Amino acid sequence: MTETSLATIITFVTYIFGVFVLAAVSHKLLNKKSFLGEYFLGSRGLGSWALAFTFAATAASGGSFTGFPSLIYSYGWVLALWIASYMVAAICSMGVMGKRLNQVARKCGAITIPDVLRDRYESTGLGLLATGTIIFFTLCNLIAQFKAGALIIEETFNFPPDWGYGVGLLIFAVTVISYTAYGGFRAVVWTDVMQGIVMVVGILILLPVVVRQAGGLEVVNQKISNKPPTIVTGVKGPYNDLVIQLVGEIEVKGIVYRHPQRPHANLSVNWDPRLPKQNRFIEIWLATNEKGETISTGNHVKQAIEQDPYLGHQFKITFPYDNNQIIVDSLGRSLEKGATGLINLSKSSGQEHFVFIKGEEFLFGPGRSSKGVSFHPLGMAISFFFMWALTGMGQPGTMLRLMAFKDSRTLKRAILTVTSYYALIYLPLVIIFVAARTLLPELTPENSDKAMVLVSTRVVSNLGLGYQILGAIFVAAPFAAVMSTVDSFLLMISSGLVRDIYQRTINPRVSNYTVKWASYITTVVVGVIVSLLATQPPDFLQRIIVFTGTGFAATFICPVLLGIYWKGMTRQGALSSMLGGFTIILGLFSPTLFGGDRIDLLGLHPNLWSVGGSFALGFVVSKWTGPPPKHLVTRYFYSK
Amino acid sequence: MNKNSNLNDLPTDSVYKSSFRESIWILGIWTACFLYTVIYCYLNGYLTHEPHPNSTGPAISSLVGEIESFNRLPASLTTPLGLGIPDWVFYGIFCPTAVAIIITIIFCLFIYLEQDLEPTDDE
Repeated sequence: MTETSLATIITFVTYIFGVFVLAAVSHKLLNKKSFLGEYFLGSRGLGSWALAFTFAATAASGGSFTGFPSLIYSYGWVLALWIASYMVAAICSMGVMGKRLNQVARKCGAITIPDVLRDRYESTGLGLLATGTIIFFTLCNLIAQFKAGALIIEETFNFPPDWGYGVGLLIFAVTVISYTAYGGFRAVVWTDVMQGIVMVVGILILLPVVVRQAGGLEVVNQKISNKPPTIVTGVKGPYNDLVIQLVGEIEVKGIVYRHPQRPHANLSVNWDPRLPKQNRFIEIWLATNEKGETISTGNHVKQAIEQDPYLGHQFKITFPYDNNQIIVDSLGRSLEKGATGLINLSKSSGQEHFVFIKGEEFLFGPGRSSKGVSFHPLGMAISFFFMWALTGMGQPGTMLRLMAFKDSRTLKRAILTVTSYYALIYLPLVIIFVAARTLLPELTPENSDKAMVLVSTRVVSNLGLGYQILGAIFVAAPFAAVMSTVDSFLLMISSGLVRDIYQRTINPRVSNYTVKWASYITTVVVGVIVSLLATQPPDFLQRIIVFTGTGFAATFICPVLLGIYWKGMTRQGALSSMLGGFTIILGLFSPTLFGGDRIDLLGLHPNLWSVGGSFALGFVVSKWTGPPPKHLVTRYFYSK
Repeated sequence: MNKNSNLNDLPTDSVYKSSFRESIWILGIWTACFLYTVIYCYLNGYLTHEPHPNSTGPAISSLVGEIESFNRLPASLTTPLGLGIPDWVFYGIFCPTAVAIIITIIFCLFIYLEQDLEPTDDE
């Protein structure tokens, strides 16, 4: 074990010990107050700092520290625009919802979002639908977050790839499930405060260290700009990717792997310089066996290009990070170093295109993927400005926190704190990971999720002994971000099951003792189920996180927002808006289930269509079925 | 239900009234930031203003005329104040973020009301 690992272990153990101490103190409070209100909502007693940090830390999920850095690494400065609406996210989500939602929740004694909907509209069905939706989206999100937590541990401790993920997952799951189940909401909030501080301090220290090591931002921009056009292939299957740099003079757009669609084919490399530039690809026809299956690896392709008398001088081919690490298999046998996995092509098309990305594309918008797809065209710029600031209001995890603060002065101070906090987190992250591009090895699109941990463990700790502890603290920042989201989401699911389904629907006379144990056990069982699901993790964390965030917004923002601000909103309107938003989001994301891309109608993200559709349905159906019962309007919109 | 005849006699909830007014302010702040940031960055920070042929959806930019004339040349990049941050990111995102923080402070100090959120006994 290296010295860096030792420093990291000490920091991690100290950090996790701190988390458990907070959970223990919080558990003591559980015995002194009403169990459910304390376990799921902290007895509505959050102060400014607690509210600010738990709100910000819950929003800053594993996505912020794994998916977001991965995107910055892959696309460059345009991510500053992608995240820009965080400049007004706090004032929008906390300012619009906060005071009024807190008041309505107090009026009806709600301790969960389904509680609010059930009482505001006097509809058990609506409450149950809300609970079901929360469980569905939260489970999807939790699987991605558990993967992020496991990856961070795997990479931090440098565990071998064949069992590292499993052990990382186990450590992460045991830690987060235990302190959440034992301490409840208050433990989650207190650890959020600690984790929030770790995140911001980690980033603010990391910023000058990385920029300085990269030689300053001016140098970084210059290096990025001067980098030769590069392809990092992202072919399905492990250890088959290559980094191909165009170092010669030829004008070629990219490469295309082709399946010859016949058995016993040999590997061959072709290109036709007479084709127009926009169609000029290097064609790599893969070798096949007697069944017609491809049997070429990345290493074979590398050899074939390098041995070509002309093309061999035009390209420099290396391996991305991780391909370079695989030198033994799980049985300890030596393997060929490099891209040793078979290249699998999509069966339907039998081909995969990759384009060269020029260095300058990282300095400006819209950014392009290795498949040549534009990353942030105008439609996406518009959509994401809506998404983080406005539809961010519709997240049950953050809405729940707005039900838990003490008074409106607390909220006001928290808005100011969170606004500054977001600016101190997200913009520095953009700078750090643009600079890190010049320091990190080449990563495949899948591996770029490791960018944050690699910066912390490889870049910083390389600076010398004094920086090793610092590096360990940086690793704790993304770990803290993931934990702070996971703990909140675990509680959201168990509150849905225990409070909304069991206590309020099945057995309203349940004893406090039963509720207490049901809450503990449910939190643990949900955590275990998610851990099992995360053993077969999905790719692309940020994609899942965006999907679930969008799904929450599409389902909840309209019934909650119109429920607290529009007297004319009816039960039927709320139901239609929830079902409509949910259906639209599933419909537009459904192609991703079959390996396709989501549907961006008119170039706009499904987020806009689903939230827009949800509001339209809520309004039209309420007008049609209204007016709502007079006693509800009186209760929530008038003083007595 | 003839709600107006009875409800008009009751005073509107003060938290509802002030929260609604404050929400309008917030929507205005969001709109200003949205228009400035997205338009500025799109016109000054993009190498190309047409979606790549492989991207999904038609070109929104076709609605706003000869937008290609704004295509940025890589050599034109500057970094204001020697900070190393590209000009379009500095003026389009960092500066408005600073302004947004100041506006948030002003909003919280002078517009956002502190109110009692506890329900009254008969509520």
